[in-house]
Amino acid sequence: MLSSIFTVGFLVSLLAGTIRLATPILLPALGQIYTQRAGILNLGVEGTMTIGAVAGFSAAYKTGNLWIGLLSGMFFGMLWSLIMAWLSVTMRANQVIAGIALNILGAGTAVYVYRILFGVQSLPPQVTPFAAVNIPVLSSIPVIGQIFFQHNILVYLSYVMVFVTWFILEKTTFGLKIRAVGEHPRAADSKGISVAGVRYAAVLIGGLYAGAAGAFMSIAYMNLFTESIVSGRGFIAVSVVIFARFMPVRAMWGALLFGFASALQMRLQALGIDMANQLMLMLPYIMTIAALIFASKKAEFPSAYTIPYSRLER
Amino acid sequence: MKKGLKWMAGLLTLAMVVGSFAGCGSSSSKETAAGESAAATTAESTADTASAETAGKKLKVALILPGKKDDVSFNQAMYEGMKKYADANPDKIDLNVTENVYEVADIEPALMDFADQGYDVIFGHGFQFMEPIVKVGAQYPDTYFLLGTGYKSLDNTAIYDVELEAGGYEMGVIAALATQTNKIGVIGGADASEIKRGHEGFKAGAKSINPDIEIQEVYTGDWTDTAGAKEAAIGMYDAGVDVIWHSGDGIGLGVVQAAAEKDMYCLGNVADQKTLAENNVLSGVVYQWDAIIANVFDDINNGTFKGRAEDDRYYWINAENDGLGIADINDPKGWLTDDDKQVIADTWSKLQSGEIKDYLPEDIQ
Repeated sequence: MLSSIFTVGFLVSLLAGTIRLATPILLPALGQIYTQRAGILNLGVEGTMTIGAVAGFSAAYKTGNLWIGLLSGMFFGMLWSLIMAWLSVTMRANQVIAGIALNILGAGTAVYVYRILFGVQSLPPQVTPFAAVNIPVLSSIPVIGQIFFQHNILVYLSYVMVFVTWFILEKTTFGLKIRAVGEHPRAADSKGISVAGVRYAAVLIGGLYAGAAGAFMSIAYMNLFTESIVSGRGFIAVSVVIFARFMPVRAMWGALLFGFASALQMRLQALGIDMANQLMLMLPYIMTIAALIFASKKAEFPSAYTIPYSRLER
Repeated sequence: MKKGLKWMAGLLTLAMVVGSFAGCGSSSSKETAAGESAAATTAESTADTASAETAGKKLKVALILPGKKDDVSFNQAMYEGMKKYADANPDKIDLNVTENVYEVADIEPALMDFADQGYDVIFGHGFQFMEPIVKVGAQYPDTYFLLGTGYKSLDNTAIYDVELEAGGYEMGVIAALATQTNKIGVIGGADASEIKRGHEGFKAGAKSINPDIEIQEVYTGDWTDTAGAKEAAIGMYDAGVDVIWHSGDGIGLGVVQAAAEKDMYCLGNVADQKTLAENNVLSGVVYQWDAIIANVFDDINNGTFKGRAEDDRYYWINAENDGLGIADINDPKGWLTDDDKQVIADTWSKLQSGEIKDYLPEDIQ
């Protein structure tokens, strides 16, 4: 069995799988970095992704255009997170409760919409998903090419977004405003920054990324929509953000770590490693928890994390 | 003040969400279950009360599904079987379907609710219904309960189950004959009762053709992570496997898509899945629950449902009663010779006649 693990083919398959499986965790995690840096914990990412998945799939199916599907997923993800923004910023609701409630509501709404649009069918409707784009020259490099340069376009874009996110947060005034309202909303307010406005924007951007990740699941990774297509990836994304100490590049490593553990456990199981499959299935989660323990010692949460802001109170 | 406000807002949110939830009608909460059942009754019952009263025998039947009726799998097969029977026998049963009662905590109240409402027959479609049915069944001795897969029963309850091992055996034979690399795979949800038997049957069938064949096996841990199952299948295909059987539910869709992407073969389960990937679904197991649904209602109407020994309270769909079938071979790659196809057909008729039996390892029989 060991001989079948230490082969180039196994390694290539494993690492390519790692990159694929990391993408739907990376995207929502990047979005949540905006949201959480502004001081809002949105636990409703999972539900937002499911909404994005159904919106993306439906639009792609009806129009036959995958890009319209992606835009639709992003738009409805944003629209859905508007509820969270309203609850947490305007209504100043408890963010944990609001987030959890929106998850359940999101899953229910997504399935309801799907059934209205498609009815009960004996076999599910499908779209032709985003095809793999082999990057010229690079994709023909042995091993490296197969691992990194034979994915669909959304995978590449997600990794580009790591640097875009970093740039916006660290190098623009908008990023500075987000960090300011997360650290010290009163000081930001006294400087004329609209705390509510910036927080709304931060939650909506988080919804945009989550919606895109949902659409990725239904029209790029898979070619159909099912109720549990997201399968907990939204929750993992939230923990990846904390693991990453709210930094985009570290979030990428966190997502890759989880993707690696998932891809590894499936392949080890298939090769018949002598261990209960239930234990193997825990591997990604054990690795995530271990990483969290290691990382959260130093995690510096924004000072106004989960605290609603009001001018009238101190 | 601040804290009070915060909590009030939180509670309000929750109340609002739960409220709108019941309205939108797709969840596992009891409220919603009631909402759904009301809708389902109007939509699906054949509402011919006058003739029912004259016949005096029309049974009120509740089918409680742990998942969605359009899950393309376990739930849908049962839903369609029941629907078929209800449509064909409008004078015999009044059908009410409730979806998404998955958690054990929700099951017991749901069962009692239906029993209190005067339902005559209640189907709990899944292993998790076993303990609740045994408990509630004892409290409602005049109500009939049917359990979808499991092993505990009472006088007024019975179990219906699938002999998936026969289907698995046949799939193993097909996979072993078709493979060009001598590597085949099987992917399942969780290693529960009938799934485990199916997988062991698959291995036995494959080894009956080639004792040295390499068989890769993965359980994804649940029946819903379609994307995870796709990755498992891609891993297998990358390792040289060229035919994979999946033992059903949402995960199966992931396996089919992986087969299409890698242009290899897969074998389906529950329904004929050829239309999902015309060049890549070689065959599959097909369930026909209606094969036993009629027996259940006949036994109830004839008064032969009760009074059976514990070993006798089973309704099996299997190869013999055609409750278990095989989808037509669809082999665009031409990996199966005519001789192979003959072996496949012979194996199936031997499974039907009972000539092939006792192939499962002793500890799981």
